[in-house]
Amino acid sequence: MSVRVVGETIFVEGIAQVADAEPILSALLEAPGRTVDIGGATGLHSATLQLFLALRPRIVGTPGDSFASRWVLPLVDTGEGQE
Amino acid sequence: MDDELLEQFLIEGRDLVADAQAQLRILALDSGNKAAIDAAFRAVHTLKGSVGIFPMTPAERVLHFAEEVLDRSRKGTSALASAEIARLVAMLDQTDRWIDEMERAGALNGSAKAVADALVEENRSPAPDDEPTQSVPSTTPAWAAALIEREAGAIAQAQSALTAFRYAPDREAFFRGDDPLGLVAKIPDVTALAIFPAEGTWPAADEFDPFACQMVIEGLSAASLPDLQLLFRLVSDQLDLHPIDTIAATVAGNTGEVASVLRVDAARIDRLAEGVGELAIAANAFAPIIARADALDTELAQAIRSAQAGLERAVGSIQRAVSAVRLVPLGPTLRRLPRLVREIATELGKAVDFTLTGEQAEVDKQIADGLFEPLLHLVRNALDHGIEAPELRRAANKAPAGKLDVAIVRQADEVVITLRDDGAGIDPDRIRSVAIARGLLDSEAATTLGDAAALRLIFEPGFSTAEKVSGVSGRGVGMDAVQSAVDRLRGRIEIDSRLGEGTTFRLRLPANALTTRLLLVEIGPDRYAVPFDQIRETVRVDSDRLVPVGTGWACVLRDRTVPVLDLATLLGGSNSARLPAHLLVTAVSGEPVAVRVDRFGERIDAMIRTPTGLLANMPSVAGTAVTGDGGVLLVLDLAEVMG
Repeated sequence: MSVRVVGETIFVEGIAQVADAEPILSALLEAPGRTVDIGGATGLHSATLQLFLALRPRIVGTPGDSFASRWVLPLVDTGEGQE
Repeated sequence: MDDELLEQFLIEGRDLVADAQAQLRILALDSGNKAAIDAAFRAVHTLKGSVGIFPMTPAERVLHFAEEVLDRSRKGTSALASAEIARLVAMLDQTDRWIDEMERAGALNGSAKAVADALVEENRSPAPDDEPTQSVPSTTPAWAAALIEREAGAIAQAQSALTAFRYAPDREAFFRGDDPLGLVAKIPDVTALAIFPAEGTWPAADEFDPFACQMVIEGLSAASLPDLQLLFRLVSDQLDLHPIDTIAATVAGNTGEVASVLRVDAARIDRLAEGVGELAIAANAFAPIIARADALDTELAQAIRSAQAGLERAVGSIQRAVSAVRLVPLGPTLRRLPRLVREIATELGKAVDFTLTGEQAEVDKQIADGLFEPLLHLVRNALDHGIEAPELRRAANKAPAGKLDVAIVRQADEVVITLRDDGAGIDPDRIRSVAIARGLLDSEAATTLGDAAALRLIFEPGFSTAEKVSGVSGRGVGMDAVQSAVDRLRGRIEIDSRLGEGTTFRLRLPANALTTRLLLVEIGPDRYAVPFDQIRETVRVDSDRLVPVGTGWACVLRDRTVPVLDLATLLGGSNSARLPAHLLVTAVSGEPVAVRVDRFGERIDAMIRTPTGLLANMPSVAGTAVTGDGGVLLVLDLAEVMG
């Protein structure tokens, strides 16, 4: 799993573990307007999903994690109308 | 009397009785449950209106009373005392009996008025031992109440009962390596999910601790309470569960949505299924046409082949859809069971705690229809011979009320019905001596008979251990009736008993009856089909492993001597002596028996048609099946072939 920051986008790829929440948080604190692209993620740990729920960053991409896609991500404000 | 109207009433009236009883069961546990009182009131109110159309004045009178009792409680003047609930249950039981009478005789008998008077009088003045009628707080926890309100839409659409869950993992969960949402993702049949911050609000971004778990997860699942307990067993202290009765909850949510249900005559579905079967056979006619076309024009043959493939896919999909239509939940079939248990127990002077679980399991209609009789027989038997009278139970340090549980579980292609009582159990020695006395076996055979095999003797025709003939199970019908009913459904029955502790019967029945998996077997030039569910295993052994025993043969399989019968001989042909022997192992009264055939053929799924004409008089023929190439096979009933 990796967290890469390219310009204004944070790419979350592979299986997100507990430890991955911290670099995502840092990247979002650095520049709160950043978009999180989870299209390359195949699994999302509770710690990552909790971070999304709490901080509500703009999220793009559909992860290969059907439970998260179906049930959790709809709960995260996608950021529409906040730009 | 308009027959169609009566028929409709018989269905809807029983549905309403069952609805009301279900609500009363909730009230028995939680007398302040407003939703259940509302739902019970509505069911009784509608039922009263329905009986009013028919000459059922006594029923109308009783229901009017029940309605008033519920209405008073509904308007908050008094919660229902447990004695009142018990009387309401009795009133609905009586209404159910009257509905049965309407079906049987088209009218209520002369005593109905007196019965109604007694029920109503009994209720007019509250008995002195009644609990004080004051409002009892509902035991629905606040989180569940909020969830029910929030998820009213999901609850209204639910096809079955739901379980609400609230999982509050502690802050250290991530450190321990837990992935709470990963665990929640494993919950089957989730219909709603919400995640809240544990502290009420999420902390600001710069105060957020990414390593602390700070969420509460709530939702609904169609999984049962025990299933969820099992899944969450390692974090059980962080989990709350609450069962939700979807009907009651819907009333509370007042969504007013009505499920779209169409009642269709079962015979129409059968005709549809038969038509689909014929369509499948008609589609098979393409194969030889393609072969002929191949010789003339390969391009044309290819075109027909792809058209045929499309047709087969469509037929397959219709077949699956028709099978699904025939699946019915067992609930409606079994809804009379709790009432009958109460009646039988009262008649026998026994107290019993009856539970029925898993009745939402779906099985083919044929199985649902054939199941009730044998199950009721087992229930009667358990109440009569299993569960002891209260004084005997007290003497044995047991609770005065016996426990009788019927649990239904769907396992792959089978539905397993487990009936467990905590009664006296069955004494294999007593069974042996009764069997000797009845001439079912001699004393020498009895001493070599294992305990498990001895217990199975109760399923033999003519066996009954009842000391005195009681009105309940001593009606000249023994447990052999259960065995033959289960055989007819191509099921199996297992029995397990511990002396002094109770008896468990397990019925295993095929859940789908529309197509049956068949094994083709060959004897010389002839081919037959045998239903897979009659076959325990197939083995190939060298002929020298068959040893003569008496007038027949036997073979040692898995350290056990198994009698070997020759199918050709059984069917009236001559003994085949081909090498090696192909054995089909089946069970007769639970004991393995091998049947020798020449060869095993392919396995096919086919619809078994009931034998007609001359074949109808041959019990060894279960029916006919049509193979893919349009040929007709005789399907053998092994038990009958050997009988």
